[in-house]
Amino acid sequence: MNRHKIMVIDDEKIVGDMAKLSLEQEGYVVETFLNAEPALKRLQEEKFDVVVTDYKMKGIDGMEVLKTVKDLYPSTQVIMITAFANLDAAIEALRRDVHDFFPKPVKIRELKASIKRALEKQL
Amino acid sequence: MKIENKLILSNIINGAFIVLIGLFAYQNANMVLTKLRFVEIADDLNASFLEMRVSEKNFFLYHDRKALMDIRGKIASTMTTIEAEKDDIIRAIEEEDLKKLQSHLKAYSFAINGASTGDPRDPDLETKIRAAGKRLKEYSESISRLERTRVNDIILSSKRILIISFWVILASALIITHIISQKIVRSLRRIEKLTKSISEGNFNRIEGVRPRDELGSVIEAMDSMSEELAHREEQIIQSKKLASLGILTAGVAHEITNPLNNISMIAQTYAELYPKLGEHDRIEFMNKVDAETERIRKIVKNLLDFSKPKDAHPKQADINTVIQQTLTLVQNMIDVSNIETSIHLADGLPPVFVDDHQIQQVLVNLITNAVQAMTSGGRLVISSRPGKKGDSIEIGVADTGKGIAPEFLPHIFDPFFSTKGEGGTGLGLSVSYGIIKNHQGEIRVDSMVGVGTTFTLELPRYNNEEKNNE
Repeated sequence: MNRHKIMVIDDEKIVGDMAKLSLEQEGYVVETFLNAEPALKRLQEEKFDVVVTDYKMKGIDGMEVLKTVKDLYPSTQVIMITAFANLDAAIEALRRDVHDFFPKPVKIRELKASIKRALEKQL
Repeated sequence: MKIENKLILSNIINGAFIVLIGLFAYQNANMVLTKLRFVEIADDLNASFLEMRVSEKNFFLYHDRKALMDIRGKIASTMTTIEAEKDDIIRAIEEEDLKKLQSHLKAYSFAINGASTGDPRDPDLETKIRAAGKRLKEYSESISRLERTRVNDIILSSKRILIISFWVILASALIITHIISQKIVRSLRRIEKLTKSISEGNFNRIEGVRPRDELGSVIEAMDSMSEELAHREEQIIQSKKLASLGILTAGVAHEITNPLNNISMIAQTYAELYPKLGEHDRIEFMNKVDAETERIRKIVKNLLDFSKPKDAHPKQADINTVIQQTLTLVQNMIDVSNIETSIHLADGLPPVFVDDHQIQQVLVNLITNAVQAMTSGGRLVISSRPGKKGDSIEIGVADTGKGIAPEFLPHIFDPFFSTKGEGGTGLGLSVSYGIIKNHQGEIRVDSMVGVGTTFTLELPRYNNEEKNNE
């Protein structure tokens, strides 16, 4: 079976570490990044099925990541998480076809369910 | 004295001087008029005397007795004229001179009266009359000559005095104008200096002598303006604090949500993977939870420091001792970094009135920032010196680090503003700012990207009298 590739971008290292540990249990291949620049570079090389990104980051932010991913791979689903509950940002993200929008603290079970739905959407 | 009063006084003095000169000229002109009036009378008299002498000659040459009658008539009319013009004459010449003239006239009249009975061919009589007539004429002529000379003298001296007065008034006007304008310029310079100091944020009461002129009133007005400005500044700081409370709340939410999320995710993953985790992994997970709670604790502590900087306990302290104590706190951090340090502490600095723990906190913040800005090595200079204003001391913390971009400089004291990424809470400098402001001090920053950053603290010196009065 072709294993799905998930990318996690968050400047909090623990978010990436924990997401990776947990998502690998589901059989996904997970790569984590602390900021968007190297992540976007990696995306140029290879397509990922789902990108989980923090919204508020130094340098390139989550909205920018969403835009770039959608330009590169329209079928790739983006899930945004944020510590900063901002309605305007959520609306903007939905307009740009975000798959899901989670406020922190994140429930991993919900995240997993969302990823599963995202993958089903691609079939 | 007020400049206005000085101007009025100088004008009064000059005016009085001019009036005096005018009076003098008026009096001289009057004198000249009187003298001229006399000269006019004297000319009439001289003409009468000349006619008497002609009649006298007729009497002796042609033995004409009628001539004597003429002379007598002339004498009588002359005496009447003198009597009539007596006041004018006395005003012009001495009474003594008038009496002499009258006595000469009487002597002549007496001689003429004697001749009316005598023989015109008598040479004695002729000599007597001629001598008396000559004396009368000469005396009268000499007086009028003298008076003419006097009139000339008066006119000459008036002219001289008027010219001198002109120069004196001109000179005094110039000198007084110069002195007053100098004083105005000096006052304006002082005001210029004072406004500059106010524009630099010095809202203290203006010290030094308060002149009792317009400058004094201006200083008085500036004092009340400074007071008002200080009051307004306080209000602005207060409203800024309220505004930053808004930023603070949003910042706190974001800052605390991240470690909370981390703890939550660790807990969820821990529960999920529990059977698969080794003992070492489990301890590692719990250590991470502990580290994240520590992060929250730090944010809360800084927040408390920020919100309550007023709980300071200031006391008299030696700033160099405070700096030395701070250095022992940060020595370890400096040792493990690749940084050269030099300490320049000035001797004999006056004591300051500070909460030494808070000042240490500020210095630790500044030194930590400096060290973190020099990850690839550099030089840290910590110095103390007397302040430029004389009543303060300055502490400098300078690094040769990466510097702060000009667009960030205005925000570095804002709460939650950080250029350090996840390494900083963005509270260190805003807390430091609050502490220094609370000490009536100032914190300034100079920075150039790629060259380094210098923070300067200015703290007021300990003022014994002031504190006792409080």
